[in-house]
Amino acid sequence: MRALAFAWRSLLRRGGRSALGIVGIAAAGALMFDMLLLSRGLLVSVRELLDAFGFDVRVLASEGIPQSRLPIEHALETARALSALPEVASAVPFRIGEAEVAAESERPDEVALFAVGATTRRIWTVVDGRDLSGREDDALDVVVNRRLAERMNAGPGTSLELRGRCSATPSILPPVTVRIAGVATFPFDSGAQLTMASRFEVLDRLCERPVGEADLIMVASRPESGPDAAVDAIRKARPDLYTFSNDEVIERFERVGFSYFRQISTALAIVTLSFGIVLITVLLTVSVNQRLGEIAALRAIGFSRHRMAADVLWESALLVGIGGLAAIPLGMALSIWLDAILRSLPGVPATLHFFVFEPRVLWLYAGLLTGVALGAAIYPMWLVTRLPIAGTLRREFVS
Amino acid sequence: MSGSHPPIVEARDIWRIFPMPAGPVAALREVTMEVSEGEYVAIAGPSGCGKSTLLHVLGCVDTATSGELRLEGRDVGALSDAARSRLRLEKIGFVFQRFFLLPMLTALENVELPQAEAGVPPAVRLNRARLLLDYVGLGHRADHRPSQLSGGEMQRVAIARAMANRPRLILADEPTGELDQATGEAIAGLFDLLHKDGTAVVVVTHDPSIAERAQRVLRMRDGRFVDRELA
Repeated sequence: MRALAFAWRSLLRRGGRSALGIVGIAAAGALMFDMLLLSRGLLVSVRELLDAFGFDVRVLASEGIPQSRLPIEHALETARALSALPEVASAVPFRIGEAEVAAESERPDEVALFAVGATTRRIWTVVDGRDLSGREDDALDVVVNRRLAERMNAGPGTSLELRGRCSATPSILPPVTVRIAGVATFPFDSGAQLTMASRFEVLDRLCERPVGEADLIMVASRPESGPDAAVDAIRKARPDLYTFSNDEVIERFERVGFSYFRQISTALAIVTLSFGIVLITVLLTVSVNQRLGEIAALRAIGFSRHRMAADVLWESALLVGIGGLAAIPLGMALSIWLDAILRSLPGVPATLHFFVFEPRVLWLYAGLLTGVALGAAIYPMWLVTRLPIAGTLRREFVS
Repeated sequence: MSGSHPPIVEARDIWRIFPMPAGPVAALREVTMEVSEGEYVAIAGPSGCGKSTLLHVLGCVDTATSGELRLEGRDVGALSDAARSRLRLEKIGFVFQRFFLLPMLTALENVELPQAEAGVPPAVRLNRARLLLDYVGLGHRADHRPSQLSGGEMQRVAIARAMANRPRLILADEPTGELDQATGEAIAGLFDLLHKDGTAVVVVTHDPSIAERAQRVLRMRDGRFVDRELA
């Protein structure tokens, strides 16, 4: 009987204790699996979100958080110049602002407003009505997200009265009446967010910002050039601007912004790993101590130290392996629940996820479980291999 | 001292000293003996006289503090632990007072176990395990687990297991110690049968009725042989 089959029979022999070990590993494994999903989940999700915009390069006037960045002056001209580069397919200036829209309720609703220069490339997808156009007559058109349309009981062709919220306070400028051209989905929308997109003219009138300013220019590289070539070309053409590819943005996030998640997930993963190792070590050690006579007899019969250690290692591997497999569906279910809790936080885009599955997670998980099985078996294997055969048989006889 | 056949085991001037908190204790003192091929030897003596320690040294599960042990002419003291394990697996059969059958295996699987460890092909070891269970009169209990067997039946299975790899030497430590008189007699009959079939048998026992079945009885006291007689 090979060591694996022998170990399996040994586990069945102590079914209750084995089940306890498997349940313990399943619980710890589920948490460890979730921590692996969390450690890179947000990065992967943000990457997918950035890619969903349809732009792979971002151009800024300065570094830092969005609230403290300098605007890009003459953004329309700059975008046109960048669009002319052979590596660039399209460059769209963006301005980000806030507005209030009069609602049926007493308090006006706050709306996130994204203003773009006249172009055909969008970050939203129109699902009803039409998109913004470049015609002069349509300068005060907007597209709104479904939630805003439902909130205002409005649709394509309906007019809305907007008041700007400049520097976090309502503007003293008179309200601007805009017309809903269409309803669209925005990739960065949170569940409760009211979102609107317009041409620059709307935001210019609401907040009286200098004409032609933008917060950033989003660039789509030509497929044959790729984002890295586009970044190099833009840096060469406009060294005064800060240019980043999506990869570089993610790299910066990973280095600074999302390191907390990785640290938290690493700490919790280490705790669960330690728990798994201690649990299985205790169970195997108790099991070995309860059958010292039997082990000594097997050694006397001719079983080698190596073989006895292999039996213990297989027992550990089976407990951890079965528990680890059971942990995967458990961890997936738990991650869906935890993800829903985190995504319900205000301002989190509805398409953003904190727990994201990647194939590499499975490999990493399998590697960590292998470590648990090996680590848990070390002490009981040492006990088995160092067991004095004659002394143990003598003690068994005396007892 | 020995029979007419060449010795399987030769022990020369064996000392076994255990370090104890109150000072070293000599369990074996200058023990010299031989067991010849096919010989039946009983080792008798009071509790604590060193019988089991001698059996453990002869069976290569314990190492003499000094002296020389040869098995089939090979110096056992020079062997590695792995080589000693292999030697025990292939050349020596152990029978314990407490049987030490594995409770999660059937009688048949318990007998197969040493053969599997020795790398005997499944079909061959299954066939031999069945033959051995028939040999000890338990062919009809092959699929029973130890918990479903009586003490005598368990010891029969243990004897079949000890014979699994066709050892030339069987070492039995108080094999009837946990059995009633009648069952013990039956087990002793099995050792007679093993001896008759050519296997050397060394039995450590308190029971004079078991000892008197042997060709030679070696009596021990305080770690030494006190006299030797041919049965």
